[in-house]
Amino acid sequence: MEKVMLTGNVAAAWGVRLAEVDFIPVFPVTPQTEIVETLAKWISDGVMDCRFVTMDSEHSMITAAGTASATGARVFTATSSQGLLYGFEMLYTVAGWRVPLVMVNVSRALSSPITLEPDHNDVLAARDSGFLQIHCETCQEVLDSILMAYRLVEDERVLLPIIVNMDGFYLSFTREPVEVPDMERVRRFLPLYQPRHAFFKASQPMAQGVVVLGGSVYSYFKYQMHLASQKALEVYKEVCVEFEKVFGRNYDTIEGFMLDDAEYVLVMTNSFSTIGKAAVKRAREKGIKVGLLRLKLLRPFPEDDIKSVLKGRKAVAVIDQNISIGKGGILHSEIASCLYNLKHRPLLLSFIGGLGGKNISPGEFEFIFNKMITEVDTEEVERCQLLYTEEEWNEMVGLKRIAGKG
Amino acid sequence: MHLKNRIETKMLRLRFHGRGGQGVKVASRVLGTAAFLEGYYAQDFPLYGAERRGAPIAAFTRISEEPIMERGVITGPDIVIVMDETLLHNPQAMPISGLKEGGIVLINTPHSPMEASAKYKITAQVITLDITKISLDMLGSTILSTLAGAVASRIAGLREDSLRAAVEKELSEIITDRGLLEKNINASLYCFNAIIPVEIKTAGVIQKGSSVITMPFETAEISSPAIIATGNTPLRLTGNWRVFRPVWNYDDCTKCMNCVARCPDGCILVNEDGLPYTDYNNCKGCLICVEECPTKTLGMVREVHA
Repeated sequence: MEKVMLTGNVAAAWGVRLAEVDFIPVFPVTPQTEIVETLAKWISDGVMDCRFVTMDSEHSMITAAGTASATGARVFTATSSQGLLYGFEMLYTVAGWRVPLVMVNVSRALSSPITLEPDHNDVLAARDSGFLQIHCETCQEVLDSILMAYRLVEDERVLLPIIVNMDGFYLSFTREPVEVPDMERVRRFLPLYQPRHAFFKASQPMAQGVVVLGGSVYSYFKYQMHLASQKALEVYKEVCVEFEKVFGRNYDTIEGFMLDDAEYVLVMTNSFSTIGKAAVKRAREKGIKVGLLRLKLLRPFPEDDIKSVLKGRKAVAVIDQNISIGKGGILHSEIASCLYNLKHRPLLLSFIGGLGGKNISPGEFEFIFNKMITEVDTEEVERCQLLYTEEEWNEMVGLKRIAGKG
Repeated sequence: MHLKNRIETKMLRLRFHGRGGQGVKVASRVLGTAAFLEGYYAQDFPLYGAERRGAPIAAFTRISEEPIMERGVITGPDIVIVMDETLLHNPQAMPISGLKEGGIVLINTPHSPMEASAKYKITAQVITLDITKISLDMLGSTILSTLAGAVASRIAGLREDSLRAAVEKELSEIITDRGLLEKNINASLYCFNAIIPVEIKTAGVIQKGSSVITMPFETAEISSPAIIATGNTPLRLTGNWRVFRPVWNYDDCTKCMNCVARCPDGCILVNEDGLPYTDYNNCKGCLICVEECPTKTLGMVREVHA
């Protein structure tokens, strides 16, 4: 199969086209708009058979997507950042409807201050909603994850919506070589969506998304969503095996890089994992036994896989490209709770980097590695550290002066 | 295969600088596709600030013999392509910042390398080619995309057939006019062959030890995202990169005010005699006024900022 140079956005559009979706409601927002523009052009050119509607906002868009999915259609939509948050209440609602909607989020840091570049506060804000989450490192992975997403969530053991996340700019607008599979192969992997629980048929009327009174009744539905998300772990593994059989590419809930004999492990997600891997390679050349763990499936949280990879290591540094103001890194907290009861748990360090797409320089990676080594020695772990360089601070000094802020 | 003209490392990093509308993004893609078709790993992407015609924009292309394990902007390029020389005076654009020692700058200018180096105080190795003139002569336009992609491909040591295939591929996704596409291929091959290949003497990436600091606390009076200093937009001359300048001959002017109404930037003002005139500080030379004037009061001349 030949590869072509594609941006993450166009790779996503290809995933959607190959999945032969029925309906796409949209609303534009930087940096995802290119996805829906590409799909619109294909539909208008007649090479893609699908209904496409521009809604008035992301709130309406997510509602339209969820309801369409509830009629039994295969549906796609995409958003970012402010758009995701604008439709936020509908995320929980749509998930509660138990519909297999696939939504791409192109991560973008949240206002204020307003910006365009990526971090993960947007997508992680949705982590409680009931939407599953797959996070991608490369443009190839974006295309592949969309195909895997439909297969995963349309499985009757799952039937929860899912977000496939890619970083704005660093993936969305960046071209990389991508193999676009042919339709025949995709059809072997992805069967038609044939729902038995949510569909629209005049002869079989049903009420969906009903009102519930009574805590135990409400709890039943919510617990079932959680149980379905746990089932999704085993379904995901099955899907990965199938995917490799058909397309030859291997994925799992996590990805390990130089982990075999690693004493120190970096934990990262999304496209910055690439530069983390480069840093690991450089450190290895200096004799430091470090490796990288990339989290790909974030919801359901792959607790067992993470435990088995991290147990027995000397130290683990989680680089959160997000921040919970007042607490620290979101993924750090999740990993900490996952490792807490382990007998041989590693020291766990927390770093915040890459907010608003801020670069993480080789010097900052070295800083992290040195911290891991030092703190294993002293057995004292500092609190969450905000990565920032002297150069960057000097630049801020200049900008503050220009702004009249002293 | 190996990247020609290279000394050490297996990756070449190129940075393109230009202005919105000049084809900077397509230039980076022509190069990226050319490298990809020739069998290299490639990665390219643009970075916009303000999304408008004339605003400074950069694009980046990485070419490597191995899988590319870098992301984001290129702060230490081996090669910089300056598609608009007025950016060399622009403190926000700073096209040459970070250029690695031994790296190469190509400037789109009528100046010779020596003249350009002296004028812009550049110590790095400079190559020049007036690709705007070539574009006007061979394409009848000021869009530099394929031409800049061509010179970059040549400096990067890629083959002519890779460039030809790349121009074909990239342009066929944007334009349907086969004739214009052919002209672009010819123009880009012309530029490719007008460049004398040079040796790129950059060493491997230098690990600048950027030291990590602990950020000090500052109260919101400083740390809120607000600007107190008074605005300085009038100081920003958005017309300083014009390629054509509208010129006036009032003999036949009927004061119809079509030009005033049509100027997209509000750069045509009216003097006390009721005659329209151009605010040359901010006119971008789009020439809509020239096209819309019913009496041919407006003409145009080529403007060179070298």
